[in-house]
Formats: sequence, structure tokens, C-alpha cells
Amino acid sequence: MAALPSPSTRPLPEWKRFRYPESLYKYAVLIAAIGFVWWSLDVLRIDVERLPGLFKRIADVISTRYLPPDLARVQQPDFIDAIIDTFQMSYVATVLGLLIAIPLAWFASNNMSPSRRWLYPVSRLIIMTSRSVHEMIWTIIIVAIVGFGMLPGTLAMMLFCIGFSGKLLAEAIESIHNGPVEAVRATGAGHFKVFVFAVLPQVRVAWAGIAIYTWDVVFRASTVVGFFGAGGIGFHLRESVQRVESREVSAIILTVIAIVIAAELLSAWARARIAKAVG
Amino acid sequence: MSAVLDSSGYADRISQLMVARRRARLWRYVRNGAIFALVAWSVEAIVVGDTDWSRINIAGMAKAAWRFIDFDASILLSLWEPALETLLMATLATLLGMFMAIPVAWLGANNISPLGRATYALGRVLMTLSRSVHEVVWALVFVAAVGLGALAGVLAMAVRSIGFISKTVAEAIEDVKTGPIEAMRAVGANRFQVLMFAIIPQVLPVMIGNIIFEWDVNIRRSTIMGLVGAGGLGLALHRQMASYNYGGIATVIAVILLMIIFGEVVSHYARKKVT
Repeated sequence: MAALPSPSTRPLPEWKRFRYPESLYKYAVLIAAIGFVWWSLDVLRIDVERLPGLFKRIADVISTRYLPPDLARVQQPDFIDAIIDTFQMSYVATVLGLLIAIPLAWFASNNMSPSRRWLYPVSRLIIMTSRSVHEMIWTIIIVAIVGFGMLPGTLAMMLFCIGFSGKLLAEAIESIHNGPVEAVRATGAGHFKVFVFAVLPQVRVAWAGIAIYTWDVVFRASTVVGFFGAGGIGFHLRESVQRVESREVSAIILTVIAIVIAAELLSAWARARIAKAVG
Repeated sequence: MSAVLDSSGYADRISQLMVARRRARLWRYVRNGAIFALVAWSVEAIVVGDTDWSRINIAGMAKAAWRFIDFDASILLSLWEPALETLLMATLATLLGMFMAIPVAWLGANNISPLGRATYALGRVLMTLSRSVHEVVWALVFVAAVGLGALAGVLAMAVRSIGFISKTVAEAIEDVKTGPIEAMRAVGANRFQVLMFAIIPQVLPVMIGNIIFEWDVNIRRSTIMGLVGAGGLGLALHRQMASYNYGGIATVIAVILLMIIFGEVVSHYARKKVT
């Protein structure tokens, strides 16, 4: 048995999580990040000296000008009609958007696309373009072409819905099992029959959940498309903002928050029910 | 085979099943009928009730759409600054949103929430509130509170980002492995040290991936912040719209598309590197 080395009397070096080269990188990154934030505040002309009192000023503005909300405004019949309009726009836009998005998602899925050469890139491009442009920009463009009202809002949200749901639907197709597909293909079925009998039964549940979620997101957008000239609640919001009726604005915003949360709860309930029904 | 069919004991059961099946079919018809009626009613309201078809014709729409084709290259150089502003607004908003999301995620993760159910519920309410309000509404709120300018846009997007970041981080915290936590507790770490050294290292990759994703989404959002008075490319778009310069609108939208593609490419590669 070898003798144990005698314990050194030298004090242990202090433990550090990051030793010399790492600690240097860490501080360099930190300083660069602070420098970046400083530079961007300068570019954006945000006055740093005014930031400390920010929360107090926000509280003051809200309490003196926006409170109490003018709840009479949101109980008027024209506003109730606008809520129903908002609901209808979101509903129709989702149904139309899904009708277009379903074939596009089929073409744009990299495992099931009937024509990888032509349909795949084209449908990918359509989905990507409609996703990239913010729904409010779609609204502005379509309002400029079609005019004011519920129709441009519906069309704009339909375009938004194609991109939003198309990507999710295509991802659901990409995660299916290949067994049923091969089995159906072995019987001599064409692309369409493979889609109906092998793909659709596998993605049905996921798609139902995606459809409900899409409605939820479209509904949230449809509460504000009116701000840019389409119909619904947003139109009244714009009116109140332009007349600087701050108490009306706060009442409308609170109503928007309330109905969007209600829609979200409804959508969560429906999705949970679908998941449970399937087990 | 015949023995099964002959035994009359099954007759009751079969008739019960038939009744149940008929009821299910009836319920399905009622439900599908209601959905169809809802769609039909909504389509009627939009297409017949609210649209003045006498004013809309193909020629007029084609003419309106054609105005956008006239690309206005003269404003391209002046768009450099708003494009940079948009990018910086999105970046700052994502950073600020990240810092604000950390405490919310801490409250809303049910395994580490400090006071059990009460703070868990508070965390969840904050997440829902942040996500369920559209960014345009948040922007209106902050423009009213802090005035016109980029600050309102940054705050609006930061608040809008809290929901997504904190929800995904809270979900990641709920599935952390308990081994490191127990090891830290065993050597006498307090709650804060457990959070810093046992939980955060485990959720960091998910968190960074989601923050990069949110940055990409925030670029898209910050392109419209200017429409309600919060700086960036949206303001340039608003100016072109106010002067009815349709070619200019098309140019600004083209620049917006380029920026979004840039953001998407960067975020794609960055996330691939992280995860």
C-alpha cells in the first residue's frame, strides 16, 4: 500500500465557475450586449433619462384619462352588431382559408406531395408568402382594392389563415406513419386515393385541433382588422381613437380582451374534447 | 354462428344499440346542420348584407390592383433607416420580453411556483392576458401611455412576447429532471440557487430556441407598429399611404418582405445551431 501524499499546506485556489479564457469571453459578450442595447436606444431616439419615471407616468395617464371606462359605449346596439360581425368574419375566413389550405398543405408536405417538381415548391411559396406578410398589411392592400367593409376583412384573414394553418397542416402530414400509405399504394391507388384513405384518417384529429386553434388566432386578428378599414369592432376602436375619446377606447379594449379570452377558453375546451374523444 | 343469432337474449341489446345509433346519427345531423346554418348566415351577412356589389366590378378592382405594380424605386434609399429601426425594435423588444418572461415562467410552472396554486394561477393569467391581446391593441395602449415613437412599439412587442416565451419556458421547467434539483438541495442550496444552477441549465436550450423564434415573429410585428404611431417601417408605409403613392406602398412592402425573409433565414440557422 503506497503512502498517501502528505496534504499540501498551500491554500486552495478560490473556486470559480468560469476560469480565465471563459471568463474573458463572458465579460466581452456582456459588454458587447450592453453596447448594442445602448447603440440601439440611440438609433431609436429613446430618451434613457426618461425611463426611470416611466411606470409612474403610465399609471398617471391611465388613471386620469382612461379610467373609468365608458361602459355605456360598448352596450350600444351598433357595437353589439360589430361584435357579431367580428365573429362572422372570423368564422367565414377560417372556413374559406382552411378549404384552400388543405389541398395546399397536401401539395406542400414533403412526403406526400403528388408532384415534387412543380406543386411542392409552388405551394410552399404560396404558404410562405401568405405567412410572411402581417395580416394588417394584407388588410390594407385588400381594402385599397375592394373598399371598406366586412368583405376585405374576411379576404385578408383568409389569406392569413392559408399561411398560418397551411404550415401546421403540412407538418401534421409530414409526421404520419408510412405503413398505411404503402398498403394503400400497393393496391394500385393513385395519389388522390392514397390521400383520402391513408393520409386523411391519420391526420384527421390533428387537423381538427389545428382548425380550432386557427379560428382562435383569426378571431384575435379580426378584432383589429377594422382599424385599417375592414369591418368589426376595430372600426369602432379607430373612431374612438381618432376622436380621442379615451374612456371609450379603454372600454372597447377591455371588451376585446374579454371576448378574445372567451374565444380562447372555448377553443381550449373544444380541443380538449377532441383529444379526449379520441383517447 | 346460428346459435348466436338464435339466442333471443341478444335482441334487447341489439335494439338498444340501434336506438343509440339512431340517436347519434340524429345528433350528428343537428350539429352539422347548425354549423352549416352558421356559415350560411355569416356568408349572407358578409356577401349580401355588408357589401355594395354595385360599386365593385372586375375592371375597377383590376385597376386598383394595378396601381400597386408601379414600383417606386426613388424612396428605396430613404427606407434604410426605418428598416434598421424595425430590426432594432424587434431585437430590443425580444430582450425586454425575455427578462419580463422569466418571473412569469417562474410563477406559472406548477413544480416551482413559490406559493403553490395561487401564484400558479397568477402566472397563467398573466400569460393568457399577454397572448390574447393583439399587438395592435398593445401598441395603441402604449402609444397612449408613453407617446408616439419607438419606445411604445418596443414595450408593446415586449409585453406581447411574454406570453409565448413564459408559457414554453414554464412547460420546459415542468418537465425538468429532478436529479440535479435533489443534488443541489442535498448540498444545502436555497431555492434561488436551485433555480439558477439546477433548473436554468436544463431549460436553457429550449429557452434560447424559443427566444430566437420569437425574435423572428417580432420582426414581422414591428413592421406594422408604425401604422399606429410606433416607429419603424410601418411609419414609412403609413406616409406612403397617406400620400396615395401606391408604388411607394409596394416598395415598402417589398422591403418588409426582404426583412422577414432575412429574419426567417437567420432564425432558422441559429435555432439549428442551438438545438
